[in-house]
Amino acid sequence: MTASGLGMRDQKFGNRDPGFGMRTPNPEPRTPNCVSAISMVSAISLLFVLALVSSAWGQAFTMRDMVGRELRLSHPPQRIISLVPSVTEIIFALGGEETLVGVTDFCDFPPAAKQKPKVGSMLDPSLEIIVASRPDVVVATDSGNRKETMAEIERLGIPVFIINPNNLGELMTAIAKLGELTGRKEAATPLIAGLTHRVDRVVQAVRPSPRPKVLYVLWSEPLIVPGRDSHLSELIELAGGANVTASDPHSYPRYSLEALITRAPEVIVLAQHGTGKTPRSKARWEVLDIPAIRNGRVHAVDGNIFHRIGPRMVDGLELLARLFHPEAFR
Amino acid sequence: MITLRRVVAVLALLSIPLLLLIGGALLVGSAPVSPRAVLRILTGAHTGGPEATVILDLRLPRVIVAALAGAGLAVAGAAFQAITRNPLADPSILGVTSGAAFGVVLAQLVGFALTPLHALGLTAFAFVGALLAAGAVFLIARTNGALPIQTLLLAGVIVGLFFSAAITLLISLADVNRLGGVIHWLLGNLSALSRPTLLLFAALLAIGVGLILTQTRQLNLLLLGEESALQLGVDAERVKRQIFIGASLTTAVVVTFTGPIGFVGLIVPHTIRLLFGGDHRLLIPASLVAGAAFLLFADTVARNIIAPSEMAVGVVTAFSGAPFFVYLLRTRYRSLP
Repeated sequence: MTASGLGMRDQKFGNRDPGFGMRTPNPEPRTPNCVSAISMVSAISLLFVLALVSSAWGQAFTMRDMVGRELRLSHPPQRIISLVPSVTEIIFALGGEETLVGVTDFCDFPPAAKQKPKVGSMLDPSLEIIVASRPDVVVATDSGNRKETMAEIERLGIPVFIINPNNLGELMTAIAKLGELTGRKEAATPLIAGLTHRVDRVVQAVRPSPRPKVLYVLWSEPLIVPGRDSHLSELIELAGGANVTASDPHSYPRYSLEALITRAPEVIVLAQHGTGKTPRSKARWEVLDIPAIRNGRVHAVDGNIFHRIGPRMVDGLELLARLFHPEAFR
Repeated sequence: MITLRRVVAVLALLSIPLLLLIGGALLVGSAPVSPRAVLRILTGAHTGGPEATVILDLRLPRVIVAALAGAGLAVAGAAFQAITRNPLADPSILGVTSGAAFGVVLAQLVGFALTPLHALGLTAFAFVGALLAAGAVFLIARTNGALPIQTLLLAGVIVGLFFSAAITLLISLADVNRLGGVIHWLLGNLSALSRPTLLLFAALLAIGVGLILTQTRQLNLLLLGEESALQLGVDAERVKRQIFIGASLTTAVVVTFTGPIGFVGLIVPHTIRLLFGGDHRLLIPASLVAGAAFLLFADTVARNIIAPSEMAVGVVTAFSGAPFFVYLLRTRYRSLP
């Protein structure tokens, strides 16, 4: 990563030029003093170049990603590719979208993200397009992107910055890191404060109420639910629910319907993928004789809000709290 | 009988489409690089910059990987067809590909990656898997010292299904975050390899293909019947063993570096046989060149048809290979026992 950062330094000198174009105040042509004017201009230009070189050296950009690897660039990154929809959402929320020169096909939020150049899918992005976009850095996650892809990108001389938040606390770290990466530190602080405040408000609101037993269904066929280490279990707890699959040691275990029925969930949350308004999977649940069905407490939610660890996760938390404790939000 | 001149002439003829395809594959891709720029980069007139990286570090190695893999699979197919005397034998139909794939998935989950050193470990696992599968198929199918066509194909299907199930078992035990990589590889995907890995791929492939290429004369004699071969000084069992090991190794190497890609070993040798006859001294080297061209073509399609995303090349070979297999079954081999 270090070597590639150095390699990029040479390339970038020519391109990076705030004010560089103004360095040659147009010399008056055809005057008797032409020669001295030219030499003065060249002297001034030389000074400008030196100033630029030293400022570029001074601006060397260093920071660590979320797995502790050091990113070293000759200047703050101005061309970033995001291989993760949640990273794209965070960068937009920070107002750093001008730095984004490429996103995945799945980056659909906010709507403006769809206008960004596409580099392909999360698992199989086009390395050709990534290289041709001349990014300073590619942001990836180690849960969702392939290790092989990241190794390839680094082999091609492009640094990879890993963002892998796994819970709300780490989401705040991710926002801070991306704020620093995109030069939007000043936006990161209020964003984090706002999100933290909203989380606190939810926690306060649901505190007095008893916790309903909650079943969260990530995927219905096969049946995949959140286990102990999933951020969804944390969200459910914070929203004042008791996740019936929280004790499972895996993050996203496959469950049998039988095992779930015996736990008698009082609220079922079905994550929807895609845009279908009437979830087909809902019918499968409605024949079961469990409290959630009897009381009509089966809710379909937009999976993207819950499964992407981005700012919208707090929207998800508020939604869950309202579903679990309608009385507290009247 | 066949002359050296004919072999050279056919190979030269087949090299023309291969060279054209190599040129074409270097020109097209998801990143827009003008043909002029490609030429300047390849001739060294233009160095550095993202365009040079795209051509030299992505497209060129990928073209080489596709050509090598196609050559290996076609030779392995021709070799299996020769020792089983079964025109429909192909590493994927015989279940050998699945056996090798099982080995690779197991090794991947144990922690091997596709770096030069690890690739040796992956290949070892794949080779053992391929030998197990091929050995099982031969043992199941052998009837009175012969390998009847239908029994062999059925044995191949059964062994293939068994190893597919074993792979599914491994996948359901695997960590969710590793799955994307494993499944992506299982679909049969070519990707550019780093120079050391590419060299290792070529070297391992050379060993497997070499074991087969050195036995083409003996293979011809085997077709006369094992007794006649023995009278002509050919140790039939030894030749068959060497071909068996060579074809299994070749399959294992290709599966390791590109994932299980089917049907190449069926389509290519067949087409060559139809065009130029079944003499192995011609068939096997000609399959090598034509296999390289075929997979390169399939990969160029896979790379560009839904750009910027990529389709798995295994899909393209299966879409062309499965109908071809049906065609052979319905027209040419209907009357076989």
